[in-house]
Amino acid sequence: MLLENKFYRVVSVEKRENLSAVYSIDILPECEVYKGHFPGNPVCPGVFNIETIKECSMLLCGKPLRIAGVKQCRFTAISTPEKTPRAQVELLLTPSETGYTVTASIYDSQLRYVEFKGNLIYD
Amino acid sequence: MDIAIEKLIPQRYPIKVVDSLVEVNGEDAVCQLTLRADNCFIEGDGKMAEPGLIEHIAQSASAFAGYRAVSSGATEPPLGYIGEVKGFQCHYRPSLGETLLTTISMGPEIDGITLISGVVKSGDKVVAETRMKIYVA
Repeated sequence: MLLENKFYRVVSVEKRENLSAVYSIDILPECEVYKGHFPGNPVCPGVFNIETIKECSMLLCGKPLRIAGVKQCRFTAISTPEKTPRAQVELLLTPSETGYTVTASIYDSQLRYVEFKGNLIYD
Repeated sequence: MDIAIEKLIPQRYPIKVVDSLVEVNGEDAVCQLTLRADNCFIEGDGKMAEPGLIEHIAQSASAFAGYRAVSSGATEPPLGYIGEVKGFQCHYRPSLGETLLTTISMGPEIDGITLISGVVKSGDKVVAETRMKIYVA
């Protein structure tokens, strides 16, 4: 995994029916990415949130996955390691012929940060 | 073109994923990136993770916007954020050493939000493509 235990750490998981779950994650402020995003002004890269959704999807289904397509991903608020130390990653995986259609969102008690719908395929 | 990329985009190591703005032609621009181990999207198998391609397209658009800003007198590159990714397709993950040439088409700006599209190529192969909304904070 590219970002697990570097950008985020899974604190707990609540599995629901079928392939649905909510992962609670800590956003790790010591992640090296903040040196460059942006110098003196740490902001979570939106695309790191997409990778986090991909990695949590892999944890949930137990298989390596690739992002073949993103139908739509909306970034509705800016997350930072300071303002957003913990977040929830909510996932629903629907099996397709080549992998899963993944519907996901990232939020905390205050705000919704990401709404994602994409096509993840078996690697 | 003869402008240091650091003057055009605010991202730095390890997430800077554009080497240079190669050309600007009206509403289109071309950016270049050669994949090295110094960017944070390279996975254990030496290939770039898919979100790195989205970031590369976003930073290419940012370099284009930075070029326009610098051309009209700005001294600092603008901070842009991705508002939405739509219709992203990753055809394959490129490997260390590959050089990506990415064409950005800049659409109209409405209320600070700009619609762009980007196509990433390596040689004559299409690596990835997407549409995106970018806003300047």
